[in-house]
Amino acid sequence: MRMFGLFALIFIMWSMIMIVSYFLIFIIGPFHITLFNNSTDGLVSSVIKASLAIGLVVVLILLLGILKTRYLRKTLLKN
Amino acid sequence: MIYPSDVIINAAIVSAISFLIIFFITPPFIKYLNKKGKTVVDYHKPGKPLIPRPAGPIILLGIVVAEIILYLLILDVKIISLLLTTIIAFFIGYIDDLKTMPGWFKPVALILAAIPIIVLGSHGNYLGLIFDSAFIPLLYIPLILSIIPIVGNTINSIDVFNGVASGFVIITMIPLLVSVLLFGNTNVFLMGLPLFFGCIAIFHYHKFPSKIFLGDSGTLLLGSMYAAISVAGNSEIIGVIALLPAVMNSFLFLSSVKKIVEHRQVKTRPVTICDDYRLMASKEIRAPATLVRLILAKGPLSEKEIVNRILILGTFSSLLAFISIVIQYSIMKGIISL
Repeated sequence: MRMFGLFALIFIMWSMIMIVSYFLIFIIGPFHITLFNNSTDGLVSSVIKASLAIGLVVVLILLLGILKTRYLRKTLLKN
Repeated sequence: MIYPSDVIINAAIVSAISFLIIFFITPPFIKYLNKKGKTVVDYHKPGKPLIPRPAGPIILLGIVVAEIILYLLILDVKIISLLLTTIIAFFIGYIDDLKTMPGWFKPVALILAAIPIIVLGSHGNYLGLIFDSAFIPLLYIPLILSIIPIVGNTINSIDVFNGVASGFVIITMIPLLVSVLLFGNTNVFLMGLPLFFGCIAIFHYHKFPSKIFLGDSGTLLLGSMYAAISVAGNSEIIGVIALLPAVMNSFLFLSSVKKIVEHRQVKTRPVTICDDYRLMASKEIRAPATLVRLILAKGPLSEKEIVNRILILGTFSSLLAFISIVIQYSIMKGIISL
């Protein structure tokens, strides 16, 4: 039971990677925007998709940071 | 056409070469390092023994010979890029073994190690994201330039106790090799075998109590080659999942120190040594958070107990990597659909 917290932390990190992967494939992947009805639309869509993907990874890192802080408070500082 | 029997024969040849070279040349190399006085103190043991370092040159020798022979057998240019990445990472680590460099040196210099993969075109344009692949031809380049330094330094930063880095790479290589075989190609799988069997050979000498330390040259070589195989074998996410405890260790350290810094430059140590040589989590609030400090949060443990717990965490993350492989394979084959 000593390691339960660490197993849980790794499991949560894995779940977050799976959720982000799901979002990238099924939400951001099919995203397409029509602005000029020419080839520029594809480029604009790609830039937006890339920005959203990077943003999602940043959110993932921030969430991991919050998770880490809570876990540290719960284990290290309590003991 | 590649026949399964050819693959098995090639796999046996490269695995045996890497394993045998490292296994049999390490003992005389240990004697050589001792004779030359290239030793460091093992602070976690009674009497603080001197342990020879680094094992990097021997690991490199075994892997390079095996990969060159593999190149002569299958003539795949990916082997050259993988070898160059490994050799560059080794030299970066070796410089750090000889002279302690500033904290930024290894991550920045390791960007160079990623260049052969890009220049020789060993990467694909699709990033495997478990549920499907994403076509990212432009984003892939900065991803490779960051994944090699990150993984190299991640393995480097987990090498804090006897046998951790080599044992951890052995465990995490198993799902990576399976993933490369399923989602990458057979040649990259063959390229990964010298690393796997080389790690098994060096683990025999690196495990608790260590007869030799890997040094930065050894750990950066292992981490960078692991990352290069995951990129060339379309298995980046599986590779990262298997490494989660090590990733967590780097993340905890960086987010508590708030800058890239060498472990030895940190003034407040994350763990302290008890009188009976067991290790205890530091009670200092300013001490950096690390995986070991979290393992010790509920009380002191011996070095061997800590090593076992890190390897258990590696086994757990490798199981999660296997679950991810099963999901990805089931979707790819149409067994499940979302």
